[in-house]
Amino acid sequence: MQVNGHAASGVYIEEAVQIQAEFFLSYGFGEVGPRLIVSCFGGVDIETEVALGSSQATVCDINPVRGITQWDAMGLWERVGADRKHLVALASITVNLYHAFTEADALLLEVNPLVITMQDTLSIVGLMMEIDASALYRHQEWSDPDGEAIGLGGRPVTARERLVLEANKALTGGAIRYTELDGDIALLVGGGGAGLHQHDLLTLEGAWPANHSDLSPSPTPDKPAVLFDAVLAHPNVRGMLLGVNLLQLAPCDLLVKAMLIALKRSDKDPKRFPIVIRLFGPREKEARELAASIPGVQYLPYGASLRDGVRAIVSAMSGVNNQ
Amino acid sequence: MSILIDSATQVLIQGITGAQARFDLSYSREYGTRIVAGVTPGRGGEIVESVPVFNTVAAAVEATGAHASAIYAPAQYVKNAVFEAIEAGITLLVCLAESVPRHDAAAAVRFARDAGAHLIGFNTNGLISPGKSKVGGIGGDRIAEIYKPGRVGVCSRSGGMSGEICWELSKAGLGVSTCVSIGGDPLIGMRMLEVLRLFEADPETDAMVIYGEPGGTHENEVAAAIKAGEITKPVVGLLAGYFQERYPTGASFGHFAAMFRTQSETATAKRRLLTQAGAEVASSLEEIPSILKCVGTKKLLLDKANARE
Repeated sequence: MQVNGHAASGVYIEEAVQIQAEFFLSYGFGEVGPRLIVSCFGGVDIETEVALGSSQATVCDINPVRGITQWDAMGLWERVGADRKHLVALASITVNLYHAFTEADALLLEVNPLVITMQDTLSIVGLMMEIDASALYRHQEWSDPDGEAIGLGGRPVTARERLVLEANKALTGGAIRYTELDGDIALLVGGGGAGLHQHDLLTLEGAWPANHSDLSPSPTPDKPAVLFDAVLAHPNVRGMLLGVNLLQLAPCDLLVKAMLIALKRSDKDPKRFPIVIRLFGPREKEARELAASIPGVQYLPYGASLRDGVRAIVSAMSGVNNQ
Repeated sequence: MSILIDSATQVLIQGITGAQARFDLSYSREYGTRIVAGVTPGRGGEIVESVPVFNTVAAAVEATGAHASAIYAPAQYVKNAVFEAIEAGITLLVCLAESVPRHDAAAAVRFARDAGAHLIGFNTNGLISPGKSKVGGIGGDRIAEIYKPGRVGVCSRSGGMSGEICWELSKAGLGVSTCVSIGGDPLIGMRMLEVLRLFEADPETDAMVIYGEPGGTHENEVAAAIKAGEITKPVVGLLAGYFQERYPTGASFGHFAAMFRTQSETATAKRRLLTQAGAEVASSLEEIPSILKCVGTKKLLLDKANARE
C-alpha cells in the first residue's frame, strides 16, 4: 500500500476509545521559530478558531534554545479552559510531544484529537507528522529512496521530472530542479529569483513556458547537462531561453558546455530551434566562443537585461513560426 | 556610512580551509575586506593565504579582535558554528549554507537574537558596502562595475537578484550604500524589515530597494512598517513569482522559501500591500532606477515645500 508515494510499512489497529473530552495540539513553525497551538476543541477547523481569536485556542511561540517546560504547558492549557483535573496529564504529554517534535526533526506534529477517555486516561487518537527533508541525514530509518515523488498539484511526476530527480541522487554537484508545465518555451533559468522574474516577464509577453527550472552551481557540466536533456525533451518545446542572473562565482562556459552535450544528445537543430543565451560573468569569453560553434544560437551582448533575453526568445520563436 | 559592514570591519572565516571559503577569501581580500583570522578545528597554527588559522573562534577573537564571521560550515554543522561564534563575542554572522535543518536554524537564530547579534542567512551570498568591504561570495569578476558606492540601500531575498539590481542602478548612474542578501532558506536570521530599519537610521542611505518573492511575510511586514510611519525613506519594490498563481498552492519553483501557502503570501498580494502602504513597485528591473529618480525628485520638492512653510 502507498501513502503519498511512500510504501506503508505497517498498519496499526487500535480499539475504539470512549471519549470524554477532545483537545487539539500542534507543533509547527512560524517564520522565526517553533510554534505551539493548543485548543480545547478537537476535530474542528482550528485555524479559523485561532484566526477568530477564540478563547479556547491559543498560539505560543517557543524559544527553541530553552524548549517548553511543564509549567509553560500548564499555563497554556489553563488559559484555553482545560478542566483542572486534566491539567497535569495534558502538560506532561505536551512536553513529551515537544521532545518528539525536535528529536524527529519534524516540521509539523499535529494531534487531532487528543482525548480523555471515559477511564480518565489521555489517548492520542489522530497524529500527523511531517519530517524536515533537510534533516533526513539524521534519520536514515525514515529515508525512503524508493518513494515516489509527487508532481505539481499532486499529479504523478513526468518522465522528464523523474530524469532530473534521479540525476540529483546519482550525480554530485549542486541541485537541479525541473517542473513540467504545458507551454512551448524551454526554460533553462538559474538563480532562484532571476528564474522567477524571467518566467513572470515571459507571461507578461503572452508566452507560456514549457517548464520551470533552477540549478545550483556544479563543478562539472554533467549534472546541468541532464537538466538541459529534460528541458529539451518536452514534446511541446519550440525554442529555449538560457537565462541566468549575472554570475558572481560560477563560470559561464560550464553551462554552455552542458548545453552542447545535451544538444548533441537531442534531436534539436538550433537553426530551426531558436536558442537565446543571456549569461554573463566569469569565463564569459570562453562561453561565447563555445556558443559560436553552433550556428543559430543567439548569445546576447554583455549588459542585456533579463527582459531583453525574454523578448529575444519570444521574437525569435515568432519568427520561426511565421516561416 | 553604510550598514552592518564598512572598511573597519574585521572578519574571520569559519571553515577557512574549505574550497569555497578559500575562493571567496582571495576575492574578498582583493576587494579590501579585512580578513584577520580563520577557524578550522584541528588546523590551528596553519596559515591560509597569509591568514592565521585557529582551532576555536574564541582563540581567533582573542588574538585578532575580529567581530564579524563568515560561516562556511556545511548545513549540518551550522548550528554549532553559530553558537560558538556568539559565545566568542561575534556580533555579525553571515551563514552561507543552504537547507539548514529547520530546528537547527531556529535555535541558531534565537541564540543570535538573544545575544543582540546580527545573523544573516541561511542560504545567502553575503553583503557588500561598495568601495568598503564585502563578506561572502557576493561580487564576481566585475565587482567594481556592478556595485558602485552610493546612497541606495538594497535588500534582497535572492543573491543573484542582488547583483542584477545593483547592476541596473550602476548602469543608471546610481550607487549603493549597502546591499544585503538576506538568504533563501525558509527560516532566516535578519528579516527584511530589520535590514530596512538599519537603512532608515543610516544618514547616508536616501532610499531603499527590496526584492521579494511569494511565501513568507517579509514584504507584508515592510508594508505594515511603511504604513505605520516607521519606515519613511522611499522604498521601491520588485516582486517575482506572479506566474506561480496560475498553479496550485504549495508548489515551489525556485528558492524553497518562495512557495506561497495562503493568498496573502502571493506576489500579487504583496504588491498590493506595498503599493497601498505607499511604496513604489516596479514591474521589471529596468524600471527601478527611473522610479528611484522620480521618487527622489518628488521627495526633494516636498522637502523644499515643507522648508518654505
